[in-house]
Amino acid sequence: MESNPILRTENLCHVYSAGTPFELTAVRDVNIEVHAGEVLAIIGHTGSGKSTLIQHLNALIKPTSGRVLYEGRDINESKDSIRAVRGNVGLVFQYPEYQLFEETVYKDIAFGPKNMKLGAQEIDRRVREAAGFAGVPEELLERSPFELSGGQKRRVAIAGVIAMMPRVLVLDEPMAGLDPAGRRDIMENIMGYHRETGAAVVIVTHSMEEAARYAGRMIVMDRGSVAMDGAPEEVFSHGEELRAMGLEIPEMTKLQIELQKLGIELRGTVYTLERMRDELLRLERGRRRA
Amino acid sequence: MNCSALRGGAAVLKDITLGQYFPGDTVIHRLDPRTKILVLIVYITALFFAETPVTYALMALCLAAAIWISRIKLSVMVRGLKPLVLVIVLTSILNILYTKGEPLFSFWIITVTREGVMNAVKISVRIIMLVMGTFMLTYTTSPIMLTYGLELLMGPLKKLKVPVHELAMMMSMALRLIPTLIEETDKIISAQKARGAEFDTGNLFEKARAMLPILVPLFISAFRRADELATAMEARCYHGGENRTRLNVLKLRLRDGMALGLSAAVLGGVIVLVNMGI
Repeated sequence: MESNPILRTENLCHVYSAGTPFELTAVRDVNIEVHAGEVLAIIGHTGSGKSTLIQHLNALIKPTSGRVLYEGRDINESKDSIRAVRGNVGLVFQYPEYQLFEETVYKDIAFGPKNMKLGAQEIDRRVREAAGFAGVPEELLERSPFELSGGQKRRVAIAGVIAMMPRVLVLDEPMAGLDPAGRRDIMENIMGYHRETGAAVVIVTHSMEEAARYAGRMIVMDRGSVAMDGAPEEVFSHGEELRAMGLEIPEMTKLQIELQKLGIELRGTVYTLERMRDELLRLERGRRRA
Repeated sequence: MNCSALRGGAAVLKDITLGQYFPGDTVIHRLDPRTKILVLIVYITALFFAETPVTYALMALCLAAAIWISRIKLSVMVRGLKPLVLVIVLTSILNILYTKGEPLFSFWIITVTREGVMNAVKISVRIIMLVMGTFMLTYTTSPIMLTYGLELLMGPLKKLKVPVHELAMMMSMALRLIPTLIEETDKIISAQKARGAEFDTGNLFEKARAMLPILVPLFISAFRRADELATAMEARCYHGGENRTRLNVLKLRLRDGMALGLSAAVLGGVIVLVNMGI
């Protein structure tokens, strides 16, 4: 994690409707770093500024003040730098299935690569590869995206962004509105892309459980500012503060706190089922030995 | 850090004020929407009867009084006129060029006449006052009240099998969905931009083609929303206007009678004055 950040914000601020009675500071002095190849979760309550923040990362929104740097260069510098960052930082919006528009799944996935002015062969390769990463079966490619199920549409939309082969893949609530099995499968696909290409993944979510399961680092946003930035273990040890921000700590951490009240001390911060199991087994073994 | 160092706000579609309604609590705001619609009709009629400077001045006085009472800022009124500048300029030019009469001066093949200039001024003033009058209605009446008022006024047409209630319902639903669709458009534009779409390059044909990735999802979502709304209404037993009652029933009050009487008096006055040649 000591590598240079691939993407970085510098005193980023964003004010909506500046100078009107509706003025609203959505992002306030935010300094975050995304390192190459990491999985980062951005967590925050509704209205904490996370969606505004991530739209800065590929120059969809211009900062009111401050800068966004991709590999050390200001992304809003010129038209070319904006075009370049759109290919390097892929952004999957919330409910991305509502942006499908082409006649076939294949054409829709090809939209991004086509905009990048790639050759026909390269486009074909990328469409098939992206479909594979996102879990879109080959036989769906020639179907109309509008005949697919909700989960399949979501996959097609994600494939449409993956096809640009971004070095940083940002997803806004990628699992919203899916059933538990669908949520897990989609996350596994995204993690597959991360593992095989080494791309950094940024997931925006308000599910602590999911953030804890996949992310190596977490950024907690509160009212437009970064409230915490660290490993899940570290973040979850601030249970009270998280609750004050309207966030829930993972069930296992809650259990740990309850156990603590009963005098059962576990090591570190426990936030996954597996860790809880290991800790309890360790205690049990220690008790037997004693 | 300084968030105050503003670099100009983002020009998102949301910033456009579409609902023209400016909430307030003046007599004009409180008037029954039916009254306001009728007064507007009388006002427009009077405006077309007005011929002479005196009658125009009278109409302008009425308009100014209404604006003053409603506390709508004059700057807001003037801003609303901006899209009309072209129309006003064009009609003025045509009037100046094509009205025959006593020549003021000639230039090349163009002869400007006294009557032409007079006509141009008259038409311009008429258009401006017409539009400002309509603004008074939409600025001081919420869209819901406006449709309700229209529904009640068109009530007698039900006898002629005109689906008045359905039309009013369609109008209020359309008004309700406009902000939602704008927000949706914003989102779709961002999403397609994130996939490298560019909307401001290429020739006209390419630009039109570039709109497809926005329009298709937008239409689909509009249909989806309409469908969901229809289902939700059915689920709550909506079956048209028959026997439907309102939570807030409109009642004509003294002030409505006074407003109507006053506008009728102004119309009568204008007709009399014009006939007397004043």
